[in-house]
Amino acid sequence: MAILDIKHVSKFFGGLAANSDVSFSMEQGMIMGLIGPNGAGKTTLFNCITGFYPPSKGEVLFKGVRMNGLQPNQVCHLGMVRTWQKVRPLAKMTVLDNVMVGALARTTSLKVARQVALEQLHVVKLEHKEDFLAGGLPIGERKKLEVARVLATKPELLLLDEVMGGLNPAESEEIIQLILELRKGGLTQMVIEHDMKAIMRISDRIVVLNSGEKLAEGAPQEIVNNKDVVSAYLGEEVE
Amino acid sequence: MRTRLQVPLPSRAPRGFSVVGLLVFVAVVAALAIFPQFVKKPYVLHMGVLLFLAVIQGQAWNVVGGYAGQYSVGHAAYFGVGAYVTMMLLEVNKIAPWWGVWAAMAAAVLLSLVIGSITFRLRGPYFVLASISVAEIIRLATLYFKDFTRGAEGFLLGEIPTMNLFGEEILFIGKRPFYFVGLGLAVVAVAVNWVVQHSKLGYYFQAIREDQDAAHSLGINLSFYKNVALSISAAFTALAGGFYAMFVKFIDPNTVFGLDVSVQIVLLCIIGGIGTIVGPVIGAVVLVPLSEILRNPKGLVQVGVLSADSGFVTFVERYLSNAHLLVYGILVVLVILFAPEGVLGVIRRAAARWGRRPQDVPPTAAAKA
Repeated sequence: MAILDIKHVSKFFGGLAANSDVSFSMEQGMIMGLIGPNGAGKTTLFNCITGFYPPSKGEVLFKGVRMNGLQPNQVCHLGMVRTWQKVRPLAKMTVLDNVMVGALARTTSLKVARQVALEQLHVVKLEHKEDFLAGGLPIGERKKLEVARVLATKPELLLLDEVMGGLNPAESEEIIQLILELRKGGLTQMVIEHDMKAIMRISDRIVVLNSGEKLAEGAPQEIVNNKDVVSAYLGEEVE
Repeated sequence: MRTRLQVPLPSRAPRGFSVVGLLVFVAVVAALAIFPQFVKKPYVLHMGVLLFLAVIQGQAWNVVGGYAGQYSVGHAAYFGVGAYVTMMLLEVNKIAPWWGVWAAMAAAVLLSLVIGSITFRLRGPYFVLASISVAEIIRLATLYFKDFTRGAEGFLLGEIPTMNLFGEEILFIGKRPFYFVGLGLAVVAVAVNWVVQHSKLGYYFQAIREDQDAAHSLGINLSFYKNVALSISAAFTALAGGFYAMFVKFIDPNTVFGLDVSVQIVLLCIIGGIGTIVGPVIGAVVLVPLSEILRNPKGLVQVGVLSADSGFVTFVERYLSNAHLLVYGILVVLVILFAPEGVLGVIRRAAARWGRRPQDVPPTAAAKA
């Protein structure tokens, strides 16, 4: 059974269709790449899946449960959690406390939460910064913190919104290795990314959005050779 | 926004139990408890009671304003409900205040749930404005429904019944009994704040303060936790209100439901330092004596600090007798300009500069700024 089923999801803002009739599904343990030009509706789709926006039409099924109408906190407790394209550190709390907030989704004990948080900081290699205020971290470490924090909620499906945006190549490579390692651990992930090389490397399948619609879906190699995708990104060839 | 970040605050959340902190706390409470044995002047004890009252109010507001970041400027609503319910149960129904105040706290919690479910839909300044208007509505309603509340006439306390505590009779006459009750309640308020800060609640409140959307996505039920914060806050504000009514012995809508009550509660925390346990205490220590001296400078003469013909008394009486709000305003401006994290922030910054906890100073933040 698919872990995530997106069925004919549309989201309208007034007359504008940010998503229209998007359908695809994800299997357990896979990495789905979600790409498309700016304004294609990738983040809107994330918002619809995780409960920040109710979809105008269609439905989202996670582990067979209908997500429409659930609040983001309920979605998180069911095991699906997202990161933010524009990172949202809890600035005046320490790095460790940030991750503990995530861990507290699964426990009421601060002691347990601290343990889980330390483990996750170790996973993203941020343990040496545990006592620093989150607001003072440079962008690369903020992105890692974002990932550690969602991992601490013990998700089954992770939605990563441009976690490599703004990073230098070495930092991006670290994140790529992290994503691949998480997959080895069996975590299902959906990844929005603009870095084509990176997305081709990590994705098992890729969905391409353009102007809110699903343009193509397939394995990375199929996507690279898809004429529609190439023209959406580079424009039509002039005869 | 400050563009220049000085030495970054080591605001690491306390881990577990601080023995030093506890010892200091016990020592201060013990000193305050034996204080009336040495100083018996009513003016000093009076100021002590007002200080404890302010500490309870400040700690109460701190839960919802300081930790959860929901700047309610309508806490007069809960203060007034606490005062009125306690007073009316005593005057009308002859129920002793130490029972009545429980009903008052319950009423304030119910009220807070109603207010919260409406106003927590709003964020930032809109929430602040809504909280002010709700408190004003309640003040006007209290003035209007005269048959029930006696309107502007208010309530004058007859007498507080004798309390029988473990076979010992306690008469609420003079300042002394109020001093001890106030001290006890202030200790409870501080303890509750400590427990909140050292629990899941504290973490969730702070997460909501820092970023609501992030908190929401991390599994935090925003409206539930905001309402929990407001309920705790309302209960202790009502406790302060009930205590105030018994101590001052007269309440009317303007003195307990007035906007200046709400503002003073917030100022306690802003001046001392928001979102900390010590902050509201420092705020009370700064503000209460200040406002009392401005209101009644003759007290200083009574205590013997000043002589009766001192120019200070005449000056204050002539020019500043009703100016305590003005002085508060000036203080707030000074705090915002020079100590945006409150008096406690200044102390911490100084401590950090002396290099007591260098590991907490993120060099990256300093470099970035």
